[in-house]
Amino acid sequence: MKIVLENLTKIFPSRDKKAGKEVVAVNNFNFTIPDGKLIGLLGPSGCGKSTTLYMISGLQKPTGGKIFFGEDDVTELSTENRGIGLVFQNYALYPHLTVKQNILFPLQNLKGADKMSKEAMLERAYEAARLVQIEELMDRKPSELSGGQQQRVAIARALVKMPRVLLLDEPLSNLDARLRLQTREEIRRIQKETGITTVFVTHDQEEAMSISDMIVVMKLGVVQQIGQPQDVYDSPANLFVAKFLGTPPINVFSGRVKGEKLFIGEEAVLDVKGVKDQDVTVGVRPEGFVPDENGPLHTIPSNVEVMGRDVSVVSTHEASLNPQVRSIINSDHKVDVSAGVVRWTLKPHKVFLFNKDTEERILPEEA
Amino acid sequence: MSKETNATMHARDMQKLTAAQRVMKFFSISGTYLFLGLMALIVLFPFYWMIISSLKTLDEYRMSTPTFWPRVIMLSNYLDAFTTASLGRLFLNTMYVGLVSTILSLVITILTAFAFARLEFKGKETLFALLLATMMIPGELFTITNYSTVTNLGWINTYTVLIVPFLVSVFYIYLLRQNFLQIPNELYLAAKVDGTSDWKYLWKVMVPLALPTLISITILKMMGAWNSYIWPRLVANDEAHRMITNGLRNAFTETTGDVNYPVQMAAVALVSAPLFLVFVFLRKYIMSGVSRSGIKG
Amino acid sequence: MVDSKQQWKAWLYLAPAIVLLLVFTVWPIINTVRMAFLENYSGLKAAGGATFQFGLGNFEKVIGYRRFVSCLKNTVLLCLLTVPISTILALLIAVALNSIKVCQKALQTIFFLPYVTNSIAIGMVFAAMFNIVGSFYGTQNEIIVTAGIINNVIQFFGGEPINWINYGSTYEANMLVMTVYIVWNALPFKILVLLGGLQSINKQYYDAAKVDGTSRRRIFTRITVPLLSPMIAYVVITGFIGGFKEYTSIVGIFGEKMGPPDDAGRLNTMVGFIYDALSTNSQGRASAAALILFGIILVVTMINMQVSKKRVHY
Repeated sequence: MKIVLENLTKIFPSRDKKAGKEVVAVNNFNFTIPDGKLIGLLGPSGCGKSTTLYMISGLQKPTGGKIFFGEDDVTELSTENRGIGLVFQNYALYPHLTVKQNILFPLQNLKGADKMSKEAMLERAYEAARLVQIEELMDRKPSELSGGQQQRVAIARALVKMPRVLLLDEPLSNLDARLRLQTREEIRRIQKETGITTVFVTHDQEEAMSISDMIVVMKLGVVQQIGQPQDVYDSPANLFVAKFLGTPPINVFSGRVKGEKLFIGEEAVLDVKGVKDQDVTVGVRPEGFVPDENGPLHTIPSNVEVMGRDVSVVSTHEASLNPQVRSIINSDHKVDVSAGVVRWTLKPHKVFLFNKDTEERILPEEA
Repeated sequence: MSKETNATMHARDMQKLTAAQRVMKFFSISGTYLFLGLMALIVLFPFYWMIISSLKTLDEYRMSTPTFWPRVIMLSNYLDAFTTASLGRLFLNTMYVGLVSTILSLVITILTAFAFARLEFKGKETLFALLLATMMIPGELFTITNYSTVTNLGWINTYTVLIVPFLVSVFYIYLLRQNFLQIPNELYLAAKVDGTSDWKYLWKVMVPLALPTLISITILKMMGAWNSYIWPRLVANDEAHRMITNGLRNAFTETTGDVNYPVQMAAVALVSAPLFLVFVFLRKYIMSGVSRSGIKG
Repeated sequence: MVDSKQQWKAWLYLAPAIVLLLVFTVWPIINTVRMAFLENYSGLKAAGGATFQFGLGNFEKVIGYRRFVSCLKNTVLLCLLTVPISTILALLIAVALNSIKVCQKALQTIFFLPYVTNSIAIGMVFAAMFNIVGSFYGTQNEIIVTAGIINNVIQFFGGEPINWINYGSTYEANMLVMTVYIVWNALPFKILVLLGGLQSINKQYYDAAKVDGTSRRRIFTRITVPLLSPMIAYVVITGFIGGFKEYTSIVGIFGEKMGPPDDAGRLNTMVGFIYDALSTNSQGRASAAALILFGIILVVTMINMQVSKKRVHY
């Protein structure tokens, strides 16, 4: 089931009737979610990602725009008629019901022609439980489960009625680091097995990048970039996206282009063909630095963090817009901190230029 | 003073203090228990006296040096009490009124609390504030008019008059609404996603989750019926509908003759017994309900 | 933004409560105020077609009654005696309970026991305990009473038995018995609330005080009482409200005569006055008295709130 969002907009009226301004939570969102894919909505808190999810679910009504499931316009359709499954951030399991009863709950609501026999419902419930591997927990109460198990129950409850679309709101944020890794693989597996179009919301870029087929980066209600995780990482549309993706985060310098050469400080560090002379903001991924005795860029190192295969060099540079410059290099390279200076050359495809005012990416003009 | 001497003196002080403290602590703990024990005795004594008096013969009760344990255990006092005050009929009346009014009251309270906690309608806040405001008015102010109202309705000396006027309790509505509000919003949204109607959500999710509060309300309401005195005396003091407290007071208001205290105490013990049973088994619900109320019954 | 279907549904849920409230709460408020301001209003006379003048007559009459003044005096006196005594006693018991570990639950249960009693029934037990031996009011309709345990104990220690509540007893003795009974009855609720408050005080305050070497007395007056002040204010306010509505505990001990047999009505209270007026079909005066009672409760509560605003420490 593909999902089409057309000019989707949500405006919340201001709380304070006299002075307050209305809040545009989602502004003119256009996107087609391909059938059977896993989509991550990504952004800092308040960017409108949860609102978008709630509008797809039907729990919130859009102020403007339309939502299609396949060819059906579902904008005016109520939640229960959309055929969606929704997993809440805190799971929202009914605390007084057992796992089995929780999973059965949505099926018991079916009416008319959809009504199922008791046996059929149980069979479906166990099928869903098997999918998320919680069959042996069916008679427990939610309070007797770990966070990860509760999460699985919530997913089973969302899947049991065979939804057309599965929606996950910050599915991993209540889990500890180890479980988070494990559960995100699990979500990926379940999504692959069922083939249900899935949208999930997260503020954790690593989480989104690691399992999504496509990510949507949002900021203040406006979509910044949509694409496959690697593409977005390799080719950010603007400074915000570049900064938001990647750990450790991208290094940012103020720089200037003169005669098709990029200057950081006084040094010409890179050739940039087809870029006009102007002041720019420069983003350099940590892995874009190569130690080179004759390199044009030099920084003052403060310490070296050994990470095993890699080494992270922390240094400073006067043109850096961050307090530190962090470069990640192969541990085969030896960096001598006591020398007081490190020289680098930069990998061209790890360096991005942004307009100093609009912060939009500057791409070389085709010659 | 040098740093060193300061430190050693401090250490010595500490040791002296712990020795003194140990003595102090012993006295304060035994003092505390003595005080609590004495108060507990005072609190319990009337109950003890009621029970042993109810088991004595009249002659033993009259002895100028009272006995603290009956010589002959007169269980027949209880039988006498039961017949003298026709407690059987009074028990049944009170149970009937208590049960019916509790069930109806629960349903009304649940519906109203749900509307205030979960549904959206115009004037919700104002209406709720008005409801709360009525809690400040003493009940006597209502009773005067309600007495005329039920008289005009022809309800005097019926069960209806004992049940209907007190079905709505603003306090219970408030209590339950607060409880409903604590149920996370996500549960409601999740139920909506699953296609659950408001009605089903109320009875399948909210009511089970608020069960402790509902039990508290049930017990307090039943105790209220058991202990009610003023209103029943006013509107239903005939044989057929009389409530237990009125019956007890009426049966033992002697104006002449020899007062048989053991039988009277047996009757009092019989009337108190159900309350104690409820207390023993459901103490936690009573206490949690009461600590939030401040009104008796 | 609320759609009309939801509106309609909400009112359906509210309907039973609203209907009952309109009949048994809202209408009484309006009607009681109306009756209070109709001079000499009586339900019987109104049914007979009589009309009544609008005015303050009922209030003037009520305040003019010696009986009313005595009811007011009894009520105020009982409040002033029982609220401070029961509050201080409850505070001491709660603090003591909170400081012990062994038997805490059991003692807590014992102290709550008087709450689950029928105040008329246990009043009869107290009456029996406070009796004096004797036969009263002559041979015509003689009543023989047995001495209660209290007088037995007094005699055991060589004292003269005191006539607490029987024929010929003094007002002071009567009030003392009522005070004992009402305090006994009021303790459980106050202990429950105060103990709940104590247990919710963060232990860190006490640890901090211990580190500073604060004495027990100082911990009590400087930490416990201030941190408990909202709860104390709460039990005092509810205590006064309950105290002004005192009635059944007196019926429990003295019966519906509201006094010893030779002086019926001696211990009557505001609420008793209202019911007496009601049972003689003087709804006008009953309403006026009820409004006066409401006024007093309101004023006392407001004074209490004002005081506690200054005194309650957070």
